[in-house]
Amino acid sequence: MDDKFCINPVWPCAMTGACSILAGFSGLCVIIHGSSGCYYYPRSLLKVPLFSTYLLESEIVFGTVNRLKEVVTEVSKTNKPIAILNTCIPALTGEDLAGAFPDGAAIFVDAPGFAGNVEEGVKIAYESLAIETNEMRDGVNIDGVSLLDLFWRGNLHEAERLLSTMGIPVVVRFAKDTYENLRKGAALHTISVNPSYTSGIGSMLGSFLFPDLKETIENLAITFPDADMDPVLDEWERADELMFYYSDKYLRKYEPPIVAVCSQESYAIFAQKIMERYFGSDVPVVLARNRNAKTIPCVTNLQEITGKIAACKPDLILGSTFEANAYPNAAFLGITPPDRSRVSISARPITGIEGGISFIEGVLNSLMDMTGRRERRP
Amino acid sequence: MAGCTLTGALSVACFIPGAVTVVHAPHGCAHQTFSMLHAMMNDAETKITPEIMVSGLSDKDVIFGGEGCLRQALDRAAEKKPDLIIVVTSCVPETIGDDCRAVCQEHAYAKQILYIPTSGFLGGSAKDGENSALIGLAGLAEPAEPIPGTVAIIGEKNLESEVEENYAEVTRLLHLLDLTVTVRFCRNADVATLKKLGTASCFILRDDRSSDAGRELGKKFNRRVIREFPRGLSGAITFLRETGTACGISREKIDAAVSSENAWQEKKLAGFSKLRGKSVFLGAEPLEGIFAVAREAIERIGMTESPDGVEVKPPFYLPVGVSGTMKMLYLWRRRILHG
Repeated sequence: MDDKFCINPVWPCAMTGACSILAGFSGLCVIIHGSSGCYYYPRSLLKVPLFSTYLLESEIVFGTVNRLKEVVTEVSKTNKPIAILNTCIPALTGEDLAGAFPDGAAIFVDAPGFAGNVEEGVKIAYESLAIETNEMRDGVNIDGVSLLDLFWRGNLHEAERLLSTMGIPVVVRFAKDTYENLRKGAALHTISVNPSYTSGIGSMLGSFLFPDLKETIENLAITFPDADMDPVLDEWERADELMFYYSDKYLRKYEPPIVAVCSQESYAIFAQKIMERYFGSDVPVVLARNRNAKTIPCVTNLQEITGKIAACKPDLILGSTFEANAYPNAAFLGITPPDRSRVSISARPITGIEGGISFIEGVLNSLMDMTGRRERRP
Repeated sequence: MAGCTLTGALSVACFIPGAVTVVHAPHGCAHQTFSMLHAMMNDAETKITPEIMVSGLSDKDVIFGGEGCLRQALDRAAEKKPDLIIVVTSCVPETIGDDCRAVCQEHAYAKQILYIPTSGFLGGSAKDGENSALIGLAGLAEPAEPIPGTVAIIGEKNLESEVEENYAEVTRLLHLLDLTVTVRFCRNADVATLKKLGTASCFILRDDRSSDAGRELGKKFNRRVIREFPRGLSGAITFLRETGTACGISREKIDAAVSSENAWQEKKLAGFSKLRGKSVFLGAEPLEGIFAVAREAIERIGMTESPDGVEVKPPFYLPVGVSGTMKMLYLWRRRILHG
């Protein structure tokens, strides 16, 4: 029981995770079957249109099916497919909600908040969508795109750019595509821009995160022998040199920064590898947000996270502003939500070649800003 | 759009230094509010985020009961020896039948535990949660003799990004009457301060969201209650007269304050003289009462309203006093003069 107690939990619930996937497919109407409170959070976080049954206490007492049918009937006037996303209370009362729509009028996604965190909800959403592959569709799927990710737009643009340079078509983008395209079937092969958000669709050829990119390109070359990999490999080499050039310049003046990393496992490992490779950094704290992390411990209790960070006295925090605010003595670069440290509107990538460069650029600017602030102190 | 009672209650309970808040709920429910508090406090350039302790109900607990989780969370909260432990609940413990009140009453720290049965959406809306928390916390204060020249502010919207700016506008007006705010109930006031609520000579509500609490508290302490912060320009004058009267300020002093305020408003409006004669179109009213504030400003500046006028956006919140009206007018001026 002890591990469930938490102070300031830093990661959203399963329902929010499921919603982030469903809402990524335009043309699919997502109805949150729950209260206004359950609707409010994903609506404000994801910034996409969502519907809700806005359940009231009386409906819980007398059953929610009629209210759900009422909203489904109204939304179905759009002639668009519907996904019903279940929340904690209707999941507890034991109504047969899935059975209320036997004609397939809606996809039922049972991802109540108490079922776990974001990643559990993502898994449930993908399973509920029952996505099939279509061997007639030539190309690869892009996986790991989530509306919850600070970098989703930039990552998607960068992955499409790189695949276009290689001459490999993109088939389905998980999860930012049209629902119509999704239903045509996914390609047999998939690459990921963020392996911590996994659809499980298609055979995985690897990640596009900078340290993994060359190996993924090798796998793509085997699967797509006509693709032209050389331009991207040349670009990777040039980016690698550039990143060394600027980190060398920093290291001529300063000591390697001690770094604490807190994010989903994929970005955390990425950040650790980059900081070790280009700065020779010591990275004593590497913590995951996702409970299914395989190589690093998952901690979502902010008090525990900040305790570990404070103990290692880092020069740089790579995480969210939860950590940054709790330990303001370090420089900070946001790699996981929320990042309230800056206004961020543009499509910044963290994946691919531009993502690697952008990350190094962000790290250097954050470190130099902090150094400047320290020097200005009286 | 609005959150559930949990968000409303936490938006009050989390702003009491020395107190800790325990949420009996799954992690995700508490994360929602914590995340919102974090966002709002960064907007307000305050980097300190309140601690929210969560019992962390899981899928197993919803089957076998979650009272043990709450008990354990209270143990952990009591270890910190806080002045007060505030317990709020989401809809999940309500549905599975946890007897949270009994768990709180039986706990060794019971005398310093305040249980607020919010019950997520089963208890109503965020507004209901705010009122429940305010009424529950008012139970800490005993009736007392009013201290002349003091007021308490009740129900400030802690999640409002302009909360401090609105407070500054209200205190500016109160200063004209030589009145001092002694209790901000509940914003950054510790338990000892909250207990002094009964000493304020008058209560000022932020707005009608906290009217339920205002009614209860006014009755309990036998105090006059000003129902909201001043709305726009003439609202500032009305506020001065009502608050001054409620606090027993002399007619002469109130008139002097009004005179001073009128001069201040004229000075501030002079900055918009380039808008005189311009025609604007307000579109749809986002919230009842906004158009009244907007139309008064239009008239005072010498503008006109017409469907063919430049479309300006009325704010989605009620502008507080002169300061709030100025913020609206700056946006209009940019639109009218610069497109």
